[in-house]
Amino acid sequence: MTAVVTDLTPRQRTWTAFRRNPLGLASAAILLALAVIALCAPLIAPFPEGYGEDTFQPPSAEHWFGTDDIGQDVFAQVIWGTRVSMAVGLSASVLAIVIGLVVGICAAYFRRLDTPLGVLVDLSLSLPVLPLMILVAALAGPSVRTLVVVIALFSWPEVARVVRSSAMAIVPMPFVSAAKVIGGSAFWIVRKHLVPGVVPVVGVSVVLTTSRAVLAEAGLSFLGLGDPNSWSWGTILHKAQQSGALASAWWTTLFPSLAILLLVLSTTLLSVAYNDARNHRSAS
Amino acid sequence: MRFVVTRLLRGLLTLWFAVTVTFFLVRLLPGDPVLAVADPNMTEELRAKLLADFGLDQPLGVQYLNYLAQLVQGNLGMSFRQSIPVTTVLMDRLPWTLILTGSAMLVTIVLGIPLGVLAATRAKGWVDRVIQLTGVTAQSLFVPSVGIFLMYVMGVTLGWFPIGGAVDLDATGPAAWLSMLHHLVLPCLSLVLIQLGGYVLTMRSTLIEALGEDYVALAKAKGVKPRAVVWKHALRNALLPTTTIAGLQLGTLVGGAVLTETIYAYPGIGRAIYEAVGQLDFPVLQGAFVLLAAAVVAANLLTDVAYGILDPRVRTS
Amino acid sequence: MRRGFLLAAAAAIALLTACSTPSVPGSTGQGGSQAPATGDRLTIGTTADVVNYNPLVGNSRTDSWVTNLMYPHLTQMDEAGKRIPYLATEWSYSKDGKTATVKLRDDMKWSDGKPVTADDVVFAVTAVQKEKFGVVAGLITAMEKAEAVSPTEVKFTLSRPDGTFLDNVGFWLPIVPKHVFEKAPSVQKFANDANWVSAGPYKLTKVERGQRYIMERVEPFGPGQPTVKEIVFRVFPDVNTEVLALRNGEIDLIGNVLPPSTAADLKNDPKLKLVQVPSLGWAHLQYNTKRKPMDDVRVRQALAHAVDYEAIRNIALKGYAKSANSSVLTPSQPDYADPSVSEYAFDPAKSKQLLQEAGVTNLSLSMIYDQADPNIARWAPMVRDAAKQAGIEIKLQGLERNTYLDKTLKRDFDIYAGSWAIMDNPPANLGLAFKTGGFINYAQVSDPKLDKLIDEGQRALTREEAKAPIQEAAKIIHDQVYDNVLYVETFNIAHSIKWTGFKPMPSELLSIVNPLSLAAVKPAS
Repeated sequence: MTAVVTDLTPRQRTWTAFRRNPLGLASAAILLALAVIALCAPLIAPFPEGYGEDTFQPPSAEHWFGTDDIGQDVFAQVIWGTRVSMAVGLSASVLAIVIGLVVGICAAYFRRLDTPLGVLVDLSLSLPVLPLMILVAALAGPSVRTLVVVIALFSWPEVARVVRSSAMAIVPMPFVSAAKVIGGSAFWIVRKHLVPGVVPVVGVSVVLTTSRAVLAEAGLSFLGLGDPNSWSWGTILHKAQQSGALASAWWTTLFPSLAILLLVLSTTLLSVAYNDARNHRSAS
Repeated sequence: MRFVVTRLLRGLLTLWFAVTVTFFLVRLLPGDPVLAVADPNMTEELRAKLLADFGLDQPLGVQYLNYLAQLVQGNLGMSFRQSIPVTTVLMDRLPWTLILTGSAMLVTIVLGIPLGVLAATRAKGWVDRVIQLTGVTAQSLFVPSVGIFLMYVMGVTLGWFPIGGAVDLDATGPAAWLSMLHHLVLPCLSLVLIQLGGYVLTMRSTLIEALGEDYVALAKAKGVKPRAVVWKHALRNALLPTTTIAGLQLGTLVGGAVLTETIYAYPGIGRAIYEAVGQLDFPVLQGAFVLLAAAVVAANLLTDVAYGILDPRVRTS
Repeated sequence: MRRGFLLAAAAAIALLTACSTPSVPGSTGQGGSQAPATGDRLTIGTTADVVNYNPLVGNSRTDSWVTNLMYPHLTQMDEAGKRIPYLATEWSYSKDGKTATVKLRDDMKWSDGKPVTADDVVFAVTAVQKEKFGVVAGLITAMEKAEAVSPTEVKFTLSRPDGTFLDNVGFWLPIVPKHVFEKAPSVQKFANDANWVSAGPYKLTKVERGQRYIMERVEPFGPGQPTVKEIVFRVFPDVNTEVLALRNGEIDLIGNVLPPSTAADLKNDPKLKLVQVPSLGWAHLQYNTKRKPMDDVRVRQALAHAVDYEAIRNIALKGYAKSANSSVLTPSQPDYADPSVSEYAFDPAKSKQLLQEAGVTNLSLSMIYDQADPNIARWAPMVRDAAKQAGIEIKLQGLERNTYLDKTLKRDFDIYAGSWAIMDNPPANLGLAFKTGGFINYAQVSDPKLDKLIDEGQRALTREEAKAPIQEAAKIIHDQVYDNVLYVETFNIAHSIKWTGFKPMPSELLSIVNPLSLAAVKPAS
């Protein structure tokens, strides 16, 4: 590897290293494309509704991904599913990050809170997540909002742990003590020093939590706990399962499954690439 | 000694927390348990009597304390729907979950370590890239999709493996063991696929780090063969973080087996939970959660022990 | 714990060896896909475990399939829905209709050797009446008492003439052994989960929860010796897996009804045979008549004109459904069906016009249904999309089953979408569903004229007598849209061609897994 130019800021250095990773770039491009699809769904395909005579048609020029048991276009379902799946994933992740950030930073900054919060995080991590999600989603009634809250509710401890450990490294730094000495308020110090310090970790966390949330959403919807009024990838799979055609009409399951794989895979690769780029020891 | 006692106390605390959270979660949510217990057809006094029998007429706090008191004596209550003790319901299922998750874990470790070593020793080479990419891809798979695919291809098309179930009816003795393994392959493979990536990646990165340490350089300088350096010195250190994930994952694995068990008709705890949700069978749900929490605690204890064996520093400090 | 882990470890090690040699010798699933059936064992796929072994309580499909093989009923039903003898040989009413007598066969025995007698019948019906639980309780309101006249004769005293009584008791009431069940403090709470004492054609010998239920032939069996030695119910997560297992030869029969699209798909599989059985119930929409503006008959008619019935039957049900002419007297009830009524036409313009007449604008309603019901989950969006054409907004509320039941019981809905499984006896069923305060009167109908007609139909002791008032009642239900019947499903049951001789009966509950059918089935040679 060529010598890294020394007068670059760490952020620039990370970016330079990141750009050299083709997988990372490809993942970023895929995620971007998925985001565009999600935003522009109405421009790409009409909302999947109604019914037609062409049921269970295999993929063709007219129906790229084939049709389902009531003659709806699977391509349109997957496109609109991108919107819901990503929206659920992102909002659940943001909610989880906010909770995790607050808990993690509080634990790191206020030493007295560290033990109870640490125990709370450890305990929450030991709960069986998916079964609990199933339970809550089943009892609270199926809706997109329920899914978001349920997923966030069981995803924050992971974030809190990461945030805490990285904030712990910042708290003893001289500039934090200095800020305390000159009488900066706790809120100010947290905002000025801790939050920026943990942002890189949180960035990776957002990506990973989103992909986990997408998988969780798919799992819950697949088990029939999704929102019947909207299309997510899991909902498409659930409907395919209900129609008893999981194996025979392979296109009704393959394409949503691929969509899930694509999103989760690219988020994971992106975070790996980002970590590699930031961590110069493994890059050089 | 103190080490063991603190760990045990912590385990108990975790257990209590899980019991409490799930107890209140189950009861505070909408969905009327009375519906599960009592037929809407029945008379008012019969209904009242039935509720009293299940203790559902008491205030929530009292119900909670009763539950804890019973739990300490190993009594998980009666199933609302099946009119049999929850312990019976769960003990029927537990061995299968243990077999499934245990074997999945073992296979993962057995495959994960050499793959991780391979990737680390050839870091940045094409072998490394293929292993990494495969690992990450497998990790991103959606379990039900994999299940259907495997059953269709390996079960129906190729006819190698049975569709669903855990053991053949007629098999006895050694044949029963074979049949059990035969049924285990596909569900186990699905679980291995989705968790292998995590192991390999952790193994790889910690091993790369370990290979850069001074003692490895020293060993190399002393003329120890590169192979021995990796397997004897670096690997031992790299195993520590891997053990930690293994411990953490066993807990989530048991819970996460819900989807796998459901799709493969494997008669484990995960499927029992899914069924119990549908039937609003609170005692069974509650019992299953207690059991899962206990599994996590046990897994963490085991991890600690393994840690102690791998790293003597933990024992002394 | 420790033993479990060792076991798991051993399993995993052996698994590795199994992985390298994929074709494990020996057991390759029950029967193997090519071997001919031997008559030793018939394996039936189901999607649920038995929840309750007490036949008086259990009501899930799997519960009934298993307990129906264990506990006799007084009568059975033939393909046309007519009652035929089982434990009972004859049954009749007295002239005034206030006593009913049933004669029993004398050659049936409980598995502990005691004979099945009139005392057992009296015990079962009295327990249900006293503790008021299960389906039967709602159907025997006319009964004053039951008594054993002799070991083979039961006399029921009724408070009013009720021509539906014998049909209902005969078909619905499982006969349980008095000497076993009477020991329980409450018959309803008796779990009956071990040491079963049964008298049906098969006895339950082994249960592996989550996996299978093994039942063995009873020899001798009075009403007719079964051919197959052993019946096994195997548990699967859903129909998809059952289909794979059936095609793989691991099971011989799928107990559950195939989703219409799967049936269309399996129709041409040479190794399988599809049996069609009619439903005894119907799928329907019910409009809450106590909620505005659905208290106005014009609004209900507008809603009825805003459903594309043909499309639902042809697309969602792939043609495996019959029109009932929007009448609750469906083609499955040929004795009662009224050819003069016709189906509401899908006519958005008419619908709009009716709404206008009623002075209703921007109608927006919500519709509840059980999201786990695959058929309804499929056509619910079709109902929504068709209504949109008539300018009516329908919001879907696909609910988790328990929430759905809760809302139904509390009548907390605008539109209810669902289906009734067995409506085998119109006078009795219309009473439950449409009489003021009826137990399943979801639409909260309260129409004195209708009540009177239904009462009249129930008092009649023969079908001929009951026909006129019941047809008139059904006409009111049709015209007032107290119920909007969408279709009567034709159920498809798939079995392997290795078996023959099934005796199909109507309804999903009986289909070809009813005791008569399983006693008659034999290997195809």
